[in-house]
Amino acid sequence: MIKKIYIGLGVFFFQFILVDFLSIKMIRPDFLVIYIFYFSLINGRYKGIILAFFIGLLSDFTGVGSYFGLTSLTLSITAYLIGFLNGKYERLLPYVFHSIWFSILILHFFIISYVQFQTLFESSFFDFSLKFIFTFGYTMMFFFVVQFFFPVKEASHAEIS
Amino acid sequence: MRNLYLFFLKYKDHFIFLFFFFSSIFLLLQNDNLNIYIIRGKFSDKFSIISSPMAWMRSMSRLELETKFLREKNIQLSLKMESMLNQNEEYKSLLKLLKLKEDSDLELIAANVVNSGSSSNLSSITLDIGKDYGVKVDQPVLVPEGIIGKIIVVGKNSSIVQIINDASFRLSVRILPSGNAGILRYFKDDICEIRELQKNAQISIGDNVVTSGFSQIYPKNLPVGEVIEVLDERGSFQKVAKIRIKSKISSLSHAFIIVSDLDKID
Repeated sequence: MIKKIYIGLGVFFFQFILVDFLSIKMIRPDFLVIYIFYFSLINGRYKGIILAFFIGLLSDFTGVGSYFGLTSLTLSITAYLIGFLNGKYERLLPYVFHSIWFSILILHFFIISYVQFQTLFESSFFDFSLKFIFTFGYTMMFFFVVQFFFPVKEASHAEIS
Repeated sequence: MRNLYLFFLKYKDHFIFLFFFFSSIFLLLQNDNLNIYIIRGKFSDKFSIISSPMAWMRSMSRLELETKFLREKNIQLSLKMESMLNQNEEYKSLLKLLKLKEDSDLELIAANVVNSGSSSNLSSITLDIGKDYGVKVDQPVLVPEGIIGKIIVVGKNSSIVQIINDASFRLSVRILPSGNAGILRYFKDDICEIRELQKNAQISIGDNVVTSGFSQIYPKNLPVGEVIEVLDERGSFQKVAKIRIKSKISSLSHAFIIVSDLDKID
């Protein structure tokens, strides 16, 4: 468990220090959500929520203009929802399983994008959608790269096997 | 009692989620709390130490490019200075004639940008100077191209800036030459919109946008951006202008904090 927390801190510092180099038009990838996703999928809701909250809080401490607490909120929600999928891969139809985790990640990025671009949401839903898709898509790009090394399918029933 | 304990134990994941969910909501609602600012300030100090070497490396990698840019700028400025010196003489004589008080200069402190947070959308930057240099909350932050934000959290050796593209950032601005004032807020990318503009305001594309001076934070006439679009909806009582901010917020490495007292400036 301690090892996993250290990995979590490692991911956090990776995000904190190097994310600027990966920034495109002020949109940056969110490695924290990828880590929390896998952590909750493997270790379940309880541990996932605790880690998500504290890592989110650390992320907020590194600097947010306003909405301090937003990252801890969204990561906690993600960890809680992803936790439901812990060990469920074999009990659900694959497409249902994949649709659920995909939807949870969409929800995570929707909350963040909605709060950050609320003006855009009000005035131009199309522009907001584009912004949301880019924010979501950029992280998902990295997420799919991680898939090659550690597929969601394996992560889900890691505890069973 | 035992049953209650077992109930909590059985549903501990839901209870822990509710606890952290409401804790996060509480934190979100306490954004303006002084204690939160103090804690954030202390954390900002610690994190700025960690990110300083990376900021230094980034600054070094841009050095060559910056030197080239500065050389070009130097020549341009030398040429401009000649004409400005003449204009200054003329200005002084006119000022004497009108017996107007000369505007006091802004007192600026230079700072390095050490990090820009770790959230997926950029909304703040951290500067490497804090209370020790006289930085206070609500002091304006700018770059040569114009205003980029204001200080919201001050630590001993670092401070967090709420930048112009934060969702809750507002700035009172004036559009020149017409002089119409409005409230600026972030829209997307490097575009902001100005609301609360009078319906009959004469605004053209390319007009300059400067700070209005109505605010308690920003001195007047600091550059902000340039009008790129004017929206005049039939049913609305106001006009909306979209502007492009001149500063390149996504690649900031240095910024200036205005530490002068606003009353003294005016």
